[in-house]
Amino acid sequence: MRIAIFSDIHANLPAFEEMLADMDSRPVDAVYCLGDLVGYNVWPNHIIAEMQRRKIPCIAGNHDVKVDGLVTTDESLKEPGKKYAYHLIDEPGRKYLLTLPRHIRLEHNINAKPLNIVLAHGSTRSIDEYVLADTDEAYVLELMAEANADVLCVGHSHKPYYRAIIDEHGNKKHIINTGSVGKPKDGNPKGCYALLIIEPNASSGNGALLAVEFIRFDYDIAKAARAIEDSPLPNEFAEMLWQAK
Amino acid sequence: MKIALFSDIHANLPALEAFFKDVESRNTDAIYCLGDLVGYNIWPNEVIDEIRKRGIPTIAGNYDWGIGRSSDDCGCAYKTDEEKAMGKVSISFTNEIVKDEQRNYLRTLPAHIRLEYQLNEEKFNVLLVHGSPRKVNEYLFEDRDEKSMLRIMTDANADIMCFGHTHQPYHRILNSGTDGNDHFRHAINIGSVGKPKDKDPRGGYVILTINPDSALNNKDSIQVEFVRFDYDIEKAAKAVEDSPLPDGYAEMLRKG
Repeated sequence: MRIAIFSDIHANLPAFEEMLADMDSRPVDAVYCLGDLVGYNVWPNHIIAEMQRRKIPCIAGNHDVKVDGLVTTDESLKEPGKKYAYHLIDEPGRKYLLTLPRHIRLEHNINAKPLNIVLAHGSTRSIDEYVLADTDEAYVLELMAEANADVLCVGHSHKPYYRAIIDEHGNKKHIINTGSVGKPKDGNPKGCYALLIIEPNASSGNGALLAVEFIRFDYDIAKAARAIEDSPLPNEFAEMLWQAK
Repeated sequence: MKIALFSDIHANLPALEAFFKDVESRNTDAIYCLGDLVGYNIWPNEVIDEIRKRGIPTIAGNYDWGIGRSSDDCGCAYKTDEEKAMGKVSISFTNEIVKDEQRNYLRTLPAHIRLEYQLNEEKFNVLLVHGSPRKVNEYLFEDRDEKSMLRIMTDANADIMCFGHTHQPYHRILNSGTDGNDHFRHAINIGSVGKPKDKDPRGGYVILTINPDSALNNKDSIQVEFVRFDYDIEKAAKAVEDSPLPDGYAEMLRKG
């Protein structure tokens, strides 16, 4: 089973289109999105429409829930600042974002061994908590035990990594940050998403084998940056796309 | 959020193709498959490939479970000797024609998918299973005792539970609230795309609607729509008759 997982598109349509083209060129059995479709750029409605057209299962990110209670007037659409990115979102788009689930759990049982894959935007505790490559091991294990997760897939930090931690019972716990499609912050301006590959463990006949691949893809950064500069959004958002920070 | 839920295709490619055509015309936002892709017809590989091609999140049904492990047991509750004999032909035929790659896909499907919602400070779960949360091949019929149904749902921490397996669609709303505080739970059997058993031979699936104001104390705030669609039943039935599968399966498709 090959599962594509992507996150943090942040209204960056040129990046999203390249990611979809890349994903469509590979053998992939299932696709999930970890949220933050919107914010920081001008194409939130295009992103949402394409997610709906493809019916990709998606959870809510912290930016997606910013439309909760948001009042938009003609004036707010002219005001310079970062809020423009949310005011832009049309009514059906807001309704879509507000009815996204917070987590998706995939409960496997492969070779008679349970394997729970939990998808969350920040962490299972909070939509805007960062689970980083160097977050304390004991803390991550506690978080995963509480969520009954063997594999935790998150986004939010825009910094991709894969780490495995052995818990007190000798079980391997896997944590995957899928990075960001449209706003990388790891110094590499290319877009990023992850492939999670699950195979039954043939050698031991027990449980499953997991592999994680990160895919980086080029996209038209100039186009995405120019769209920001030509909008009421702060110009430093454009610079951040080039710098990937 | 409109969520399309379909299951029990049972290797019926004409029905699956008609389903995709129908669901594409209805503006749903997400789609999930609740298993039993294979068995009883000649297109198991094609059905698997159509679902994989679209990246649709799918859980394993009892038939998928059996074929994924090259087992000759699909966990089906056949009642008569005739049914048992027919079932034997179907699973050995399916095991014969399913290819390695497709079998591997079936083997690594999850057993359940859970969507954890948080709307207006209220948490609730949508649980997708094939038969029941306890067992992939347990039948949850509409006339199941209310207490037993509620116990299954509370044990599984499911507020909205969607399942297939019986091929007979229904929506039951049960109240597990106490002290006058309503807590409505929804048990939804989504019917069957490729082998209906409710006397209506058309394919069936469900569209579940979650609204920004959906709440557990308001039973009408969560909507369930049962969709039926026509498909080329004769093509599917003929395929059965022209194969080593027992002709009885063709008759079942014509009669529903």
